[in-house]
Amino acid sequence: MSELNTVKSAGTMKTISGKKYKGYLIATETGAAFYQKGNDKPLAEWTYPRLHRMDNIRRGGVSSQVTVILKDDSRYVFELDYGLKVYNHMDKYWVDKPVSPRTRGDELHRLAELRGEKIQVPKKHLITRRHPNRSIAGDIGIYLMLILVGAAMFFPLFFQIGASLKPLDEFFRFPPPIWPSHPTTDNFSDLFVTMGQSWVPFSRYLVNTVFITVAGTFGHLVIASMAAFVLAKFQFPGGKTFFAVVTTCLMFSGYVTGIPNYLIMSRLGMIDTYWALILPAFAAPIGLFLMKQFMEGLPTALIEAATIDGASTFGVFWHIVMPNVKPAWLTMIIFSVQSLWNNSAATVIYSEAKKTLVYALNQIQAGGIARTGQVAAAQVIIIAVPIIIFILSQSRILETMASSGIKD
Amino acid sequence: MQSQSFGSRYLTMRREKIQYGIQQAKRNKVCYLFLAPYAILFFTFFILPIATSIFYSFTYYNILEPARFIGFQNYINLILQDEVFLTAIKNTFVIAVITGPVGYILSFLFAWFINELPKWLRAVAVVIFYAPSIAANAYVVFSLIFQGDAYGWFNAILMEWGLIEAPKLWLLDPTYMMTILIIVILWMSMGTGFLSFVAGFQGIDRSMYEAGYVDGVRNRWQELYHITLPSMKPMLLFGAVMSITTAFNVSDVPRILCGYPSTDYAVRTVVTHLFDYGFSRFEMGYASAIATILFLVMILCKKAIAGLLGRVGT
Repeated sequence: MSELNTVKSAGTMKTISGKKYKGYLIATETGAAFYQKGNDKPLAEWTYPRLHRMDNIRRGGVSSQVTVILKDDSRYVFELDYGLKVYNHMDKYWVDKPVSPRTRGDELHRLAELRGEKIQVPKKHLITRRHPNRSIAGDIGIYLMLILVGAAMFFPLFFQIGASLKPLDEFFRFPPPIWPSHPTTDNFSDLFVTMGQSWVPFSRYLVNTVFITVAGTFGHLVIASMAAFVLAKFQFPGGKTFFAVVTTCLMFSGYVTGIPNYLIMSRLGMIDTYWALILPAFAAPIGLFLMKQFMEGLPTALIEAATIDGASTFGVFWHIVMPNVKPAWLTMIIFSVQSLWNNSAATVIYSEAKKTLVYALNQIQAGGIARTGQVAAAQVIIIAVPIIIFILSQSRILETMASSGIKD
Repeated sequence: MQSQSFGSRYLTMRREKIQYGIQQAKRNKVCYLFLAPYAILFFTFFILPIATSIFYSFTYYNILEPARFIGFQNYINLILQDEVFLTAIKNTFVIAVITGPVGYILSFLFAWFINELPKWLRAVAVVIFYAPSIAANAYVVFSLIFQGDAYGWFNAILMEWGLIEAPKLWLLDPTYMMTILIIVILWMSMGTGFLSFVAGFQGIDRSMYEAGYVDGVRNRWQELYHITLPSMKPMLLFGAVMSITTAFNVSDVPRILCGYPSTDYAVRTVVTHLFDYGFSRFEMGYASAIATILFLVMILCKKAIAGLLGRVGT
């Protein structure tokens, strides 16, 4: 075994039964083996002639997931720290080289040094071009446009934050300042005083909203994903029609179905319970729609292989499909949280103690001109939460998305 | 066999087809099990209300008295007698035709531009563009910006520059209301579709671009048309559906910014009209007829766009 074509990457190995092992994968010209830390005997090893097929779920990026199926039908899922590039022609060796935290160029140099060759270092250009077929003028134009439009998009939000920090006298100054000259957090503290004096404590509204949001989102994720899975990966009578109906319902706004929905809920005795908000959220068409779109991109071979292996449909769904559609989960979670958080529940819930946060804030907004500052502060709170949730999960979405080139 | 009539052959075929369908359904029992929880909830909270809505559109129903069947009378009244409805249709049409396609194209273009940015900048840009639509009622701030007196920021700026002499009632004067409404809706148009585009761009396999470059794709526009668009068809259709939805369902923004009802019904939309009859006058039959018409128009729009998208990149 020459050092030249041996690559090593730390990561986890998952067997079909769902057991996870931490360790590292070593691949050579002739075969590959997975070792646990501090163990000399490999957990799994094979030579390439035994390899049936490989599915590279996510290519590039910071992590890489590779499913290896051997001819004897055993299969492993590797979740590796370094992106391993996979060759299609397996007769050579299947791992190209790890794209380590160092650059790929460094890796080439290391290999060349091992071979005793010398690589001529190309001169570094002042501006490095990521894409060869892009004009610089176009790039500059795009940046300018993004900055201008981005500033215009952000301005109203900036204005809103400014307004929430204005003392009352600055609301009536000419010309009105965008950003207050004496910013104060009085509006926020006043808001909490007003809220504290209300009949139902502020924390109660918060607990209600959080409960509804978490319960609704979780149920939606599980129920809609299950439906999306069979719709995307199985052919059965009625499936296509059902999905077409869901897609069409995507377009119906809440007002259009408002009254009949109320009548149905009152028949079911759900008025004035949390169920009136949570159950419809479970069936939100947008989540199913998105999930199905993403699942269609999963390699069918992956599912078929596991099914032949004897895994139950639920096993396939839970252990193979769900881990591979994380980007779609996050998107679903965001939409669900967004709609539940912003739900004022004014029509289906009457008890004050069961009302949501947005409803409580709307009550304050109805307070008139003396509360202009407090209204702005309330507004900032309502706006901030979904944006913060989005920012927190977006970094994960983008990371997962960056390597989600799903291919069959 | 020859002697068999066409009719009986057809019936045999039919029967075999149905039997095959039942067989398939039996084989895929587990699929229905997976689908059931969602399907039941979906039926209760989406299909049933829509069906009820269509049913009530043929009746006179004011919630207090039982519904009385009146045939197409609601529809006839809507089109022949209700002048406000015609205004609403006109306004909705103007809003939909402008904000729908423009918002759609802008979402796509900016998602595409953002995709060219380095990773960390891309994250910032996505938040900035997406924030107005994720934060549900962020648009309320426009009532401060376009406030009708001299303390309104827009008035003050124009007066400072000497463009106007006295403050204008931007949100109450029918001359400006529609323009401002369209600006606000465009501001909010980088919504779900936009997010889906951003995700779609990143999901495209890099090697396709490399291959395209070798095959002679010389600039970003060629790359867009020949590689990017065809691989993004599902996202494009999804974005279109979302655009139609927002464009036709505009109701909160005019209601909160311009008042309800708005001056001279200048920004009354079909959904505000529906809101008026359904939630204020409790003429449920009439409101249901409005809903049904709106729904039909949206379905037709979606069909047309799906047809158009089918031809992209070929």
